[in-house]
Amino acid sequence: MTVLSVPTGGSWLLRSRLLRALWLEFKRSPVPYVLPPLALFFYYDAIRTANGYPPVWTLRATVVSHLVFSFSVAGGGLAAWAGAREGRRKTVDLLATTPRAAWSRLSVALAGTLGWLLLAFLAFTAVLYVQTAVQATSGGPPLWPVFVGVASVTMATVLGFTCGAVFPGRFTAPLVTLGLAVLFEIGFRESELVRASSAGRRPSVNHALPAPGGAPLQVTVFHDLSYGTYALLSPLRDPMGVDVGVYHRVAPDLSIVQVIFMGGVAVALFGVLGLAAGLREPGSAGRWLACLVAVVLVACGVAASGTGFALTGTAQPVRDVAGGWEIPALHSAASDQPVAVTPDCTSTPGFQVCVAPALSFDLRTVAAELDPVAAEIAGLPGAPVRAEEVATLLRGKTVMAGISGSPPVFKFSTDHVHTVDTLLDGATSLAGWRTGFPQGLLDAFLAGPSPAAGLNPAQQAVEDALLAAVGAQPVALLRPVPASAQEVAASAAAQRFEALPAGARHAWLTTHLAALRAGKITVAQLP
Amino acid sequence: MNVDMRDTHRSFGKNRAVAGVDLQLGTGVFGLLGPNGAGKTSLLRMLATVLPPTSGEIRLLGRDPRGATARREIRRRLGYLPQSLGYYPSFTVVEFIEYFALLKEMPSPAVPGAVAAAVERVDLGAKARAKLRTLSGGMLRRVGIAQAIVNNPDLLLLDEPTAGLDPEQRVQFRGLLRSLGENATVIVSTHLVEDVGTACSEVALMSSGKIVFRGTPDELTARGAGHGVGDAPLERGYSAVLAEARS
Repeated sequence: MTVLSVPTGGSWLLRSRLLRALWLEFKRSPVPYVLPPLALFFYYDAIRTANGYPPVWTLRATVVSHLVFSFSVAGGGLAAWAGAREGRRKTVDLLATTPRAAWSRLSVALAGTLGWLLLAFLAFTAVLYVQTAVQATSGGPPLWPVFVGVASVTMATVLGFTCGAVFPGRFTAPLVTLGLAVLFEIGFRESELVRASSAGRRPSVNHALPAPGGAPLQVTVFHDLSYGTYALLSPLRDPMGVDVGVYHRVAPDLSIVQVIFMGGVAVALFGVLGLAAGLREPGSAGRWLACLVAVVLVACGVAASGTGFALTGTAQPVRDVAGGWEIPALHSAASDQPVAVTPDCTSTPGFQVCVAPALSFDLRTVAAELDPVAAEIAGLPGAPVRAEEVATLLRGKTVMAGISGSPPVFKFSTDHVHTVDTLLDGATSLAGWRTGFPQGLLDAFLAGPSPAAGLNPAQQAVEDALLAAVGAQPVALLRPVPASAQEVAASAAAQRFEALPAGARHAWLTTHLAALRAGKITVAQLP
Repeated sequence: MNVDMRDTHRSFGKNRAVAGVDLQLGTGVFGLLGPNGAGKTSLLRMLATVLPPTSGEIRLLGRDPRGATARREIRRRLGYLPQSLGYYPSFTVVEFIEYFALLKEMPSPAVPGAVAAAVERVDLGAKARAKLRTLSGGMLRRVGIAQAIVNNPDLLLLDEPTAGLDPEQRVQFRGLLRSLGENATVIVSTHLVEDVGTACSEVALMSSGKIVFRGTPDELTARGAGHGVGDAPLERGYSAVLAEARS
C-alpha cells in the first residue's frame, strides 16, 4: 500500500471525527480475539443447556444468564485490558498533548470495547432465541432477560475499563476477571438459595381442595422464607419451572430493578472514570467543570443504584409464578392476569389428553403414556375420561394432581409428573419422566380419601402391576432388592396381579376398587 | 512570538528540574542541548502543556496555557514527540497517525490527506498498512515524527527525534526539520550535536535546569576554540560551555 491508498473518508458516517475514532477503536479492539473461546463456551454451555430444556420461552430465556456470566466476566477483563492501554503502553504524555479531553478519549475506547461485547452478546442471544423460535409451539421471546443481560455486560465493562484506566498494569485485567467471576458466583449461589426459599417454597402444610364428584385435588401451601437483596439483584438465574410464563405472566418487576441497579452502577463508574481523567489534567476551570460533571454522574448513578437496591428490598414472591417476584412500587396489576389458554387436545377417539399450547410439543408423548393405562382402567368407577394439564400453581397453592369433575377428569401439572426435576436437573431418566404420567394418573385413581398420605402397600402393588401390564416401569419392581419383608410381599403381590389376564384384573378391580381405595384390602388379599 | 517563557521554574519535590528559564522564540529550528538531567525533557513537557510550571509564566502561540480554552487551542496547533514513544502495536501506521490527527481535532475532510502527507514526509509509504508491532525501532521513531507533524503544527517539540534513525534517515530528517522551521517553531532536544549544527538556526545549552548558553551553532562552535574535549568543533564548544557553567 502507498500513501495514495490511504482511506479518504468513505461514507458520511466515517467522515465524522468521533465516529471515525470510534471505528478505529472498534477495529483494533481486543474483544474479537476472545470471541472464538466465548463462542465455544456458548455452544458447550448455553446451547447444550438450552437443548436440554423443553422449548418453552420463559424456560429457555433463563439460559441467557449463562451468556450474561461469560460476557460479564470476560468483558470486564477485556475492558480492564483496554482501559489500561494508555498506562501500559506509556502513551499518557503523548495523548495529553492533544486537545481532546482524556475522558472523551477514554469514552471512545470504552465505547469500542462495549460495542463489540454487546454486539456479540446480542448475536449469541439471537442464536439462542432463533433456535427456540423454531422449536417452541407458542409464545414469544421474553425481552427482559436480554435487557438485564445488556445492563450486566455494560456494568461489568465499565467497571473493568475504569479499573484499568485508574490502575493501569498487566495484572489489572486478570484481577478484574477473577473478581467479577467471584462476584457473579456469589450472586448465583445466593440466588439459588432464594430459589430454594421462593420458587421451591418449602412445603409446610398439605391439604385437599374440595372437588365435587371426584377425588380432591391435592395441594400444598408454602411458606415464604427469608431472602437476600443481593441475590435478587444477581442477573444469574436458575430455571424457575417448566410452566412458568405459560399460565401466568412473569412480572418484569425484578428485571426492572436489576436494570436500574446495574445501570446506576455503570453510570457511577463512568463518572469515576471522568473524575480520574479530569484530576490528571493540569489545573484549570475546564478541569473543574469536567470533574463537576463527573461528580454529578457519580451522584446520579449512586442514586439510581441505591433506588434499585431499596426497591429490591421490598420484593415479595409472586403468588402464581414459582420463583417470580413482585416489587409493589413497580408492580402492574396486568401482570397478575392469567394467560388465556386454549388447550391443545388429542383428537383420537377415547381418552383425550389436553395440554397448554406452549407445552403441546409434549402432547403426543403424554398421550402415548396415558392412553394405555387409561384404557386399562376405563369403565371402572371414577376412571377419568380425559387428562388435562393445569398450572402448577393455583391461587398461590401448588397443584399436585388429582381426578375431579363429572365426568371425571385427570388434572395434572408439570411439577406433578416431575418434569422440572427430570428435564432440568437430570435427576431421573427420560423413561422415569414418561412413567410419571401413568403413575400420576394411577396415584390419583387408586388413592384413598387422604391422598397426601400416599398409597398403601396393596394400592402400590396394584399400581405397579397395572404399570407393568401397560409396559411402563413400575416403581416397586424397579428396586433390585426389596428392602423389607413388606416390600417383598408387595412385589410378589404385584407380580401375581400383573400375571392375571387383563379381563380378570379389570373384573377384580370392578368389585374391589372401593375397598382398595378405602385401605381395606391388604397385600395378601390381592389375587 | 510562538514561545514566551519568563522565569519559569519546575520542581519535583526538592529536585529543581527547571530553574528560572527565560526563552522567547519565533519561527525556526531551535536546538536544545544539555547533559542527562539538565532539565531538557521537563522544559519540553512544560511547553507541551503536559506539565504545569511550579512558578513563572509561559505563553505559547500567544496564549496562556492555564486556561482550558487557550490550552485546547494551543494543543490543536502543537506537535510533540516524547523521548520514549508509546504506541499501540495492533494499529497500523496509517491508523496510528489518523488516530492522533482525530485527537488533534483536525477538520475531518482534511484528515486523510494530512495523514498521507505525514506518512510520505517520513518515507513510510511502503509500510503504511503495516502493524506497528512489525516495525523496527527506527521506523517507529518515524511514525512518532509523523504523528507529531500530521496537523502541520505551529509549535513542534521533538525530544531526541533522531535516536534510532540510520544515517540516511537522519540526513533526510534534518531536511524535514529545516522545511518545517520555515513556518513553525521547532524545538529539538537532542544529545547529537551534529543534528543541531546542520538543522538548527539557534541553539541553547541547558545545565542544572538553567540555560547557560544561547546563540547560533557557529557561536557555540566558537566557544570551543582552544578547548580539548570533543571530536567535532561543535562538540568542543558544547564541552567548553558546560565546563564553564560547572566551574
